[in-house]
Amino acid sequence: MNTSAPSRYWRDPGATALVAAAFLAIVVLFVLVYPAIYVLVGSFRPGGGLLSATGTFTLRNYTRIFQGGFGRFIFNSLVICVAATLASTILSIMAAYAFSRFTFRFKATLFMGILFGQVFPWIVLINPLFVAFATMHLINSYVGMILTYTAFTVPFSVYMLVGYLVTVPKSLDEAAIIDGASRWQVIWYIICPVMLPGFVATATYAFLLCWTEYLFALAFLTQTDLKTLPLGLYQFFGEDNVDWGAVMAASVVTTLPVFLLFLPIQSRISPGRIAGAVK
Amino acid sequence: MRDRLFITTMLLPTVVLLLLFYGYPIFDNLHMSFTDLSLLGMRKGGNWIGLANYRELFRSGDFGHILFNTFVWLTATSVVLRLLIGLGMALLLNTRALKLLRLAAVSRFALLIPWATPPIVAVVIWRFLLERNGAVNHALIALGIVDHPIAFLADMRTVWPSLVVIMLWNTVPLIALSLLSSLQTVPDEYYEAAELDGATHWQKFRFVTLPFLMPSILVLGLMSVFWSFNNFVYVWLATGAGPGTYTNVLATEVYIKAFVDFRLGYSSAIGMVMAVIMAVFGIVYLRLVARQQLEEAL
Amino acid sequence: MLRLLAAGFIASAAMIGAIGIAAADPVTITFRFNDTEQEVRGAIDEFQRENPDIKVDLQRIGWKDARNQFLREAAVGQGPDVMHSAQVWVKEMGKAGAALPIDQFLKKDPPPNGFGDFISQDLARGNDGHIYGLPWTTDTWAMVYRTDLLKQAGIDKLPTTWDELRADSAAVYKKTGKAGFGFPAGSSASGAIWFLANFYWWSHGAALIVQKPDGSYGIGVTPDQVAASMKYFKQYMDGGDNPQSNLAASDAHDPSIMQALVTGNQAMGAMPPNTYKEIIKAYEGANPGKPVPFESGPFPHPDHTKSSMIGGRMLVINANTKHPDQAWKFVKFMASEQVFAKYYRTQFPAQKSLLKKIDFGAPLKGFAEQFEYARTWGPYADGPVPIGTMWNLTGRAFGKALSGQTSPEQAAKDLLSEIEKQMASKG
Repeated sequence: MNTSAPSRYWRDPGATALVAAAFLAIVVLFVLVYPAIYVLVGSFRPGGGLLSATGTFTLRNYTRIFQGGFGRFIFNSLVICVAATLASTILSIMAAYAFSRFTFRFKATLFMGILFGQVFPWIVLINPLFVAFATMHLINSYVGMILTYTAFTVPFSVYMLVGYLVTVPKSLDEAAIIDGASRWQVIWYIICPVMLPGFVATATYAFLLCWTEYLFALAFLTQTDLKTLPLGLYQFFGEDNVDWGAVMAASVVTTLPVFLLFLPIQSRISPGRIAGAVK
Repeated sequence: MRDRLFITTMLLPTVVLLLLFYGYPIFDNLHMSFTDLSLLGMRKGGNWIGLANYRELFRSGDFGHILFNTFVWLTATSVVLRLLIGLGMALLLNTRALKLLRLAAVSRFALLIPWATPPIVAVVIWRFLLERNGAVNHALIALGIVDHPIAFLADMRTVWPSLVVIMLWNTVPLIALSLLSSLQTVPDEYYEAAELDGATHWQKFRFVTLPFLMPSILVLGLMSVFWSFNNFVYVWLATGAGPGTYTNVLATEVYIKAFVDFRLGYSSAIGMVMAVIMAVFGIVYLRLVARQQLEEAL
Repeated sequence: MLRLLAAGFIASAAMIGAIGIAAADPVTITFRFNDTEQEVRGAIDEFQRENPDIKVDLQRIGWKDARNQFLREAAVGQGPDVMHSAQVWVKEMGKAGAALPIDQFLKKDPPPNGFGDFISQDLARGNDGHIYGLPWTTDTWAMVYRTDLLKQAGIDKLPTTWDELRADSAAVYKKTGKAGFGFPAGSSASGAIWFLANFYWWSHGAALIVQKPDGSYGIGVTPDQVAASMKYFKQYMDGGDNPQSNLAASDAHDPSIMQALVTGNQAMGAMPPNTYKEIIKAYEGANPGKPVPFESGPFPHPDHTKSSMIGGRMLVINANTKHPDQAWKFVKFMASEQVFAKYYRTQFPAQKSLLKKIDFGAPLKGFAEQFEYARTWGPYADGPVPIGTMWNLTGRAFGKALSGQTSPEQAAKDLLSEIEKQMASKG
């Protein structure tokens, strides 16, 4: 990557800085990861290892949740979340570009108006939305869920992207336009590469919000074969009893696809490349 | 002219979608807040009772206590800590030292773990960790900080800090990763120039890094306030707003009124009050605080 | 190009959506069940074998959201055909127009032993006289004891009065250092302290809601009685025999409480039979071959008062159903003896004749005994204030008193005056 670049703004850190950074990083890592390891270990023990301290290893929690339809829930979640993330990111890139590059009438009003839905606690919107959805036949449908999640992630994504875009000099666009590029080409060839980390961050946000969302999914998806992962996970919380082993296995299974999706993307974003693109 | 068409194309889908999803429910909610609609009477509809719900809300004895919890603990404390810790983590992950130690990639990976954890699971895990025989108490006793286990979620001295920790664990990664992405868009040349001018670490941070981060920080701050203020999941699942009503906040009150007491009309009124508070905050914030940073968008 | 992409995306999303909608068979009824699928899978398969013209689509939802979801679906003409409901929700469902009256079915095509055989009939009948649900299963709460810990504390007989219970709990803590009666004292809206509070009042001849001779409803417990019950339970917290952390535990099945009972760190608990069975299972798993050191017993019921509730579930038919006859056929089948005998064995049937035939077994003996001293919520469900509201308020009041935020006297006074206020406003 950039290790052999001749112009380096950094001095290599000294031993103290290295030790301090390593120490801090390990503390942060520990706090972030420990609770998850707790779940990972519990998922391989009967009853999640909570009710008794016996350490027998078992895969039964996993076989049980997959027999209970978890494969289907993963598929549903993937379809809904990937579609909603794509839709939300594309819409937000378009809107954010317009907001950050042009002046037009009612711009400020519109920009603030986008936030309007965010000021409401979502729980009060559920009943009215449910009634509206029922009349539009959007209950128990992928489309309804995808639209919902798109609508609920777009406002933040637009704001985040505007936040990133205002730091990218307009001169970049203008130079390209003078060279004969269209606006779409500017977005695709100039903005997208520069803004890639920002896009990935907002897409990650949109994806994970859908991935962990429960309230809307609960109200709008009642058919078993359409349910998403959080609904699948909640079903182990019973009236007189919680199936902790299943809850833990289900949490692990819920987290895993996120890594499979985002690790390749994350590892491909390196600061060096971005810096190069601005030049 | 071509620009106008372009702008319309860019914005129209978003505007239509948002109107569709927020427009009707919000007006419906406003209307409901003037009625005595009950969850049991959704079929029949409610009776118009004017401002009675609002009057009852402002006169209820608990309102001040609930507002205090919502403003001070749920929102202010959690947002400030979230931004500070998020910023700290982003800076740490972006340091040269971490890259040399090959910890940067691992840490970015680790950030996804809490973030991808559904809130219910986050709360459940932390309840285990914070319980009497949980890992936190074991650690504190082993380190000699306390003699007896602390009842974190039951003791009034510790319940709010514990709730904030749970929220932070689940939500800081979003801030950290977003800011990290911002940091990665800072062109190297800026640092090189600063270096040539003999800038100190602090000066580089203050005059190169921070200006690049500021728009993101401001946006994250605003959104963070909205989410925290309106969030009921953590409090509801971790303490059920208890002990007593000690950790009750506006959002849990909405939930209780709507789904425990069945008073949809009254809960809509609370929702409207919350929305107005946040709308006023949002406008003031955008006009005063973020004006400069986001001026190109405003 | 982007627009093309978007159009393509929407079209493909619509296609995926269309696939998700199940093709309609001759008659498909939806049954929404709120516990785990395995419990009823066998019974549903059997029903479909017996009735090849009816297909049953099983939906599942958690108890915590079941009622809200059903009410909002029913209001817009949606929802499952048959719904699994708590017994105390049925009147509300009828009042909301969400449940279909089943009087005509009971007349035309009654269950084998007649409707008279069912318990909790008072909760099935709406204030308009119609019957809105068929009682399906029943259970009750009882006390559970770790006999080995009691023995270590020198106790050889289960307590029969509230004072004995208190003394035994304190003795366990003092002599063994383990928790005594570790009850969940959390104040959430569905907290278990609501049950304990009512059991205590009932066994002292009082009740939060009573029906007066003239048919109206009133409060049947004095502020002093409420304060006394708060003080009674507060002793456990103050004495340390119920750890303070249980102020944050709301469920009888809170993992820390279950764990303490399984590992022998707690001697007494209060819970429904399924939680108890789960504890026994966990103990047997951890200690294979060892005798189970658990015994159950009724809550103290001096002078033959009631000291626990007859709870349970009913089956309700959605007022919007397009297949009421098929739905009734299914409901009747699910409440039949063969289902309880062959398939649905995790719950007790809500019919007196069937309940008599059940062998509860030694560990559950206390629950069988408790049934004799149990009552339904009765007037609580008929009265003007929703049970959930009183449940929430009671939990909060106990939480305040038990955590020391207010005095028991004050908390008791506030609780009753708030309930009175709500009664007055609802007429």
